[in-house]
Amino acid sequence: MATKALIKIKPKKYAVGEIVKIDFMVMHPMETGLRKDKAGALIPAEYINDVKFFFNDKLVTHMEVWESLSTNPLFSTSYKIAGAGEFKVIFTDNKGGVNEQSTKITPKG
Amino acid sequence: MQRRSFLKNIAAAMAATAVVPHVSMAADAKPKGPNEFSLKEAVAAITGGKPLQTSPKIKLKAPEIAENGAVVPVKVDVDSAMTDAEHVQAIYVLATKNNNVRCAYVHLTPANGQATFGTRVKLGGTQDVLAIAKMSDGSFISASQNVKVTIGGCG
Repeated sequence: MATKALIKIKPKKYAVGEIVKIDFMVMHPMETGLRKDKAGALIPAEYINDVKFFFNDKLVTHMEVWESLSTNPLFSTSYKIAGAGEFKVIFTDNKGGVNEQSTKITPKG
Repeated sequence: MQRRSFLKNIAAAMAATAVVPHVSMAADAKPKGPNEFSLKEAVAAITGGKPLQTSPKIKLKAPEIAENGAVVPVKVDVDSAMTDAEHVQAIYVLATKNNNVRCAYVHLTPANGQATFGTRVKLGGTQDVLAIAKMSDGSFISASQNVKVTIGGCG
């Protein structure tokens, strides 16, 4: 699953102790396994089933998800800035594909 | 007599056309999803038999009318201090009439600072979206909202 993934932090400038909104986006078909192709055969299910969000290798949020999410899913949550470090998010799909994305943060003040 | 037989023919033709799509529908029954999961099972698995309370503390934001069921933004906010002593342990988002009602189970920690979760879900048709929050004291609070879907997003 070598697809594109993004981590977005809002607002762009933040200080220690501030609560920021974090969005994770990943490009993924999220097939339900119910759709048919043009020949009438079922398209096998392919969806992200696990999203783990780490800060400095400590698990912050663990999301179990299913095929009911939209194509190219978006996950948004919040985080209280505790200091400089690295956000890491790992997406896993039901076929075992793994996508890892990380970004470094440097809070001001 | 001619008129009568003509009418009979029309009636027969109409009956035939009425039956044909019915038969083909039955033969083309909806396939079962790999993870078919009912609302009852899901709620029982989440709460373990404990009652769900509606509370103003949990807010579910979803559109009342969704033009396209394939992309329905859903946002859940739970009013909580998110301290070690009192926080939201998990937020569950369920689409009550989808083949698999489970959308997302989000396990939060006090490091989140705020109990919010947002995503975009697929809805197969007009239905209620249900959000359940598990609090650190073991209670469950819930909120739901009806979303009218003009074009389904599943299957």
